[in-house]
Amino acid sequence: MSDTDLQHLTPDEVELWAQGLLPAARALHLSQCPACLATAERERKLFVELAQLQRFSPEFGFVERVMAKVRIPTPSGGFKQ
Amino acid sequence: MRRYERPVFSLLYRMVRDRALAEDLAQETFIKVLNGIKSYRPEFKFSSWIFKVANNAAIDHLRRRSIDTMSLDGAPDAMTPNARAASALQLSDHGETPLQEVEARELGGAIDRAIGRLRPEYRACILLRHVEGYAYEEIAQMLDLPLGTVKTYIHRARNELRGYLEDRRV
Repeated sequence: MSDTDLQHLTPDEVELWAQGLLPAARALHLSQCPACLATAERERKLFVELAQLQRFSPEFGFVERVMAKVRIPTPSGGFKQ
Repeated sequence: MRRYERPVFSLLYRMVRDRALAEDLAQETFIKVLNGIKSYRPEFKFSSWIFKVANNAAIDHLRRRSIDTMSLDGAPDAMTPNARAASALQLSDHGETPLQEVEARELGGAIDRAIGRLRPEYRACILLRHVEGYAYEEIAQMLDLPLGTVKTYIHRARNELRGYLEDRRV
């Protein structure tokens, strides 16, 4: 067992693990450290909850309301509303 | 604009937790971006620029609101209990308006309530990272913060969120 195997995972490594991007050599630590495994699983659960958050839409006609207030350049160099 | 309408509005809504206000800030964001399109620097991703403008609008609003906030318990410098009572805000309960009911339903889940309890800076970072999926470096650019600060904010925000959610589950 190397020194790296014994080092607890950093928050960045936990995030990589949750994304499936942690190198196998470091992921091995999780099979030997119940504390890191518990932390990593809690983090993964949180990431999933955050990623599943609902996206909201503004009220109907939002784009039209914005475009009514945007200044559009004219060929003469000025702007029109 | 249709591509960014929902993500920008969602970020603002979760930042200010008020539908009408989030819509005003989203309008302000798009108008500012479209009227200032000539100042766009192509070395930045366009989406990063929009989120930067949106986040600035939300943070400015939240800062102004915190200055305007008054204690519900009365003026802190009141010398007597009567003076304190006289300066306290009087609130009457007329129940929720339909819009408030929508907001309570939309943002009433445990995770959204927990996000609402975070400091605005933490809230912006966690939403940009874990909801919008931006890299730490992009968030640092958007929020004009050092990379280390962004990492610290996100780490603390995650700890706080886990704490709130675990308290709820106990």
